[in-house]
Amino acid sequence: MKFLNTITVLTLSRNLTFAVFLGLALAACDTEVSNTEEDVVALTFSSQADAGASAFATNCAACHGANLEGTTLGPILSGFNFLQRWGSQTPTLLLGNIKANMPPGGAGTLTDDDYLDIVAHLLEANGVDAVINALTASTDFVISENISSVVQRQQRAEPPAPQGVTVAGNVDDFVPFVPITDAMLENPDPADWPMHRRNYYAHSYSPLDEINTDNVGSLSLEWVWNMHEGDSEPAPLVYNGIIYLINPGNVVQALDGKSGELIWENWAGPANRQDMRNIAIYDDKIIQATTDARLIALDARTGEQVWETIVADSSKGFSNSSGPIVADGKVILGLAGCARYIPEDCYISAYDANNGELKWQFETIAEMGQPGGDTWGGLDDVFRAGGETWITGSYDPDLKLTYWGTAQQKPWVPVSRHMTIFDVGLYTNSTVAVNTDSGELDWYFQHVPAEALDLDEVFERVLVNRGDDKLVFSLGKYGILWKNDRVSGQFRDYTETVFQNAFTNINAETGEVTYRQDIQNAQLNEWTSACPSSAGGKDWHSMTYHEPSGTMIAPLSQTCLENAAREVALVQGGGGVGASRKFFEMPGTDGNLGKVGAYNVDTMEEVWSHQQRASLHTGTISTAGDLVFVGDLDRRFKALDVHTGEVLWQTRLGTAVQGHPVSFAIDGKQYIAVTSANGGTSPRTVPSVIATEIKYPSRGNAIYVFSLPE
Amino acid sequence: MKLGHKAFPLFFTAILLCTSLAQAQTETYRARLSPMPTTPQTVSTILGEGEVILTLNGNTLTVQGQFEGMSSVATMAHIHNGPPAQPGPVVYQLEIADATSGEVSASLELSDIHVEALRANELYVQIHSETNAPGELRGWIFERQ
Repeated sequence: MKFLNTITVLTLSRNLTFAVFLGLALAACDTEVSNTEEDVVALTFSSQADAGASAFATNCAACHGANLEGTTLGPILSGFNFLQRWGSQTPTLLLGNIKANMPPGGAGTLTDDDYLDIVAHLLEANGVDAVINALTASTDFVISENISSVVQRQQRAEPPAPQGVTVAGNVDDFVPFVPITDAMLENPDPADWPMHRRNYYAHSYSPLDEINTDNVGSLSLEWVWNMHEGDSEPAPLVYNGIIYLINPGNVVQALDGKSGELIWENWAGPANRQDMRNIAIYDDKIIQATTDARLIALDARTGEQVWETIVADSSKGFSNSSGPIVADGKVILGLAGCARYIPEDCYISAYDANNGELKWQFETIAEMGQPGGDTWGGLDDVFRAGGETWITGSYDPDLKLTYWGTAQQKPWVPVSRHMTIFDVGLYTNSTVAVNTDSGELDWYFQHVPAEALDLDEVFERVLVNRGDDKLVFSLGKYGILWKNDRVSGQFRDYTETVFQNAFTNINAETGEVTYRQDIQNAQLNEWTSACPSSAGGKDWHSMTYHEPSGTMIAPLSQTCLENAAREVALVQGGGGVGASRKFFEMPGTDGNLGKVGAYNVDTMEEVWSHQQRASLHTGTISTAGDLVFVGDLDRRFKALDVHTGEVLWQTRLGTAVQGHPVSFAIDGKQYIAVTSANGGTSPRTVPSVIATEIKYPSRGNAIYVFSLPE
Repeated sequence: MKLGHKAFPLFFTAILLCTSLAQAQTETYRARLSPMPTTPQTVSTILGEGEVILTLNGNTLTVQGQFEGMSSVATMAHIHNGPPAQPGPVVYQLEIADATSGEVSASLELSDIHVEALRANELYVQIHSETNAPGELRGWIFERQ
C-alpha cells in the first residue's frame, strides 16, 4: 500500500464499491479488522490501465485496432502519432476529448471510471510508466514527461523515417521543364491537369475527347504504380507529361506519365501515414501543405526543398488535410483541426509563392467586437471553435476573389457548445469570398446557420458563367445544391439532390433554412434521427461541371444518422465535437448508398441519376468525350455517359477506388488516371457499418493509368 | 339460375370488369428491411435483412414478408407510424416466426388516417429480437416501383 496516496479504493468489481467503503468504515472503528489484498485492491495507474485495456477492447478496438494500430475506421493511437498529438498535453485534456467524442455511437455507454481507465490504457501503451498514482479527472502532468528512458530507447530503436529527397532524379531528363505561369494556370493546356480540379473554376472537366462514348469500352490499363500505405484521398497533378502525386505521410513523387517511371521522391515529414488530398504547382515549384500545418515548396524538377513556412502550431491541434491553390502568385491555404477551445482560431492564409512569406490571414471565426462577433451567443472568444477550411477553394481571376467553404461550429450540436439554434456563429458553414490581394472578406453567404448535425458545407465552390451571370455552386452534406451569385453572394436557387428531413422549409427567395423542431431543441444525450448522415449528401469528393451540356454532376451518398449531443465543458484546452452517432440506410433508396446525380445548372432539375449499392469515393470528372468517370468502395472504376448516366465501361482495381480522377495527354494520346486508396472518416465509416457485405483489401494504395489500345 | 349461352359472355365480361376494378383499387407497397441504426461497436450484433410486400385493398392491408440473418430469434414485429427516418409509435402488430429467419405477415384493417399515412410513406415495419429488444430490422414502406 505504500504507493497509495490517494484515498480512493475499490474492490475488483466496482459493483462492490459500497461494500468496500463499508469495510473501510468498519476498519476505522476497529483496528483489529484488517484490509487484506483479497478484500480490497488499491486503485493505481496500473490497475486502471488493466481495466482500460478491457474497456478499450470492447468499445474502441473496432475502429482503432486491438493494438492501437488504427484501421480504416479510426486513427492510430500509438507511437509517434499519439505523442505528436498528445505528448505535450495532460491526461485531463485527453480524458475530456475522449469523453466528448468517443465512442462514436456510445453516449452513456461508458462510465466516468471507464473513460479514466481507457486513458490510463492509452498512456501505458504509449510508454507512460513513471506514474503510480491513479488518474483522476484533474490529473495534469505532461504526458511526454512521464515516459521512461526504457521506452524512449525503444522509440529510438525504430528506424528513422526518411527525410527529404529519397529518390533523386530530374524531370528534365524526361521532358524539358517549362515554368508554369499565371496565364497557363488561368487557361490550362488541354493536355494538362495542373491543379486539384484542373482549372480555377473547379470544373474537373477535361477538354480532351480522344476517349469518348463510342470507344470507352476499349479502355485498357496502361500502367500502375503502388503508392505508400496510409490514409489517402489524392488528386494527382499532371503538367507537361509528368504526374506529381501526393502520398500518405507527406510524401510527394514525380512520375513519368507515359511509362510510370519514378523520377524523384521527397519526404517532407512527418511520416505519419496521414492523408493529404492535393498539391499545387506554380512557376517551377510543387507546393505542398503538410499534415502538421506547414507549407513547403519543392523544386518541380528535382524534388529538392526550396522554402518552408509554418502555417499554424500543430501542437495545438492545427493540421491540414487539403493543399493550396495558387492564385496570382499567392499560395492560398485553408486550415483544419480547429475544434479545440484555445485562443487561436481557424483561418485562410496566403503566402508569397516565391518565398513562403505570409501575405494575409482571414479568420473564419468572428470574435467579440468584430463584425459578426455577436452571433456566438456571447461566448468568450476562446470557446468559439470550428470554421475549418479543410477543402481547397476556387478562384476568379477577373474578380480577384477566392471562394471557400467553411465548416460548421464545434462542438456539433448547439446544446454542447452552450448555445442555441439562434446563435448562428459567423462565418461557419458559409461560402466566403475573400479578396486575393488584401485577404478582406468581400461577401459571405451562410448556408446552414447554427449547424446542428455535423453536416458541414465546406466543400468545393464551382464557378459557372451562364450568359452574363457569374455564379458559384456548392453542395454540402445536407445534399442541397446551392446556386449563388458570385459577385454579390446573393442566393439564386437550390435543389435537393438526396432525401433530407433536417429542414422543414427552405425559403425559395432567400435560401433561409428552418430546422425541424426536434433538431432545434435537441438536448444532451437525446437521440435525433435525420438524413443525410455525416457521410453527406455529398462529402469531399468533388463534383464536375460539364460546360457543353450545362450539367453539374455530383458523387452523392445516401445514408442517415441518429445523433446525440454530449456535454462538452467550457474549459480552455478542451472542446471537440461532442456527439454520439449511429447510422442506417436512407429510406426509399432500396439500400443504394451511392448516387451519381446530374443537374441542369439553369433549371436546377435532375437530368439523370445512377444509383448503386456501393458508396462513391472519388470525385467525378467529365470530359469533352461526353464521359463522366467515378470510382467506388467496391473497387469499381466506371465511365458513364454524361447525357444519360448509362454505364459504358467499368473495371475493378486492387482496393477501393478513392481520390480524384484526372485526364491528360502526352504526345496527343489521352490518358485517364485514378487512385485506389484506403482511409478516411465518415465517408468510410458509415458504409462500413451499413454495406458490410462489401469487402476490399486494407492495403493497395496505387495510381492506375488507362488509355485506348494502339 | 341457369346461365344461357348468351348470358355467359356477359357474365364473363362482368367478372373481368370486377377483377379489373379490384386490381385498379389494389395498391402494392414494399419495405426493404435493413439493420437498425448501428455503429462500428454494434455492427456485428445488429444483423439481417428482409423484404415485406404490402397490398392495400380498400382499407385492408395484407402483409407478407421474409427476413433472415438476425442475431437472435425474432420476438415481435410491428408497423410503426413515423415519416421516413423518424421513429414513431407502434400502430399495428404483425405475426412473425420465432426464429432468426422466417416470415412476417398480417391482415390488417387500417384506419383512414393510417391509409393516408401509408400513402405518405409514414409507416414502417420493425422487427425486434431477443438480443435487440428495441429493434433489429426496420424498413419504411414505399409504393412498389
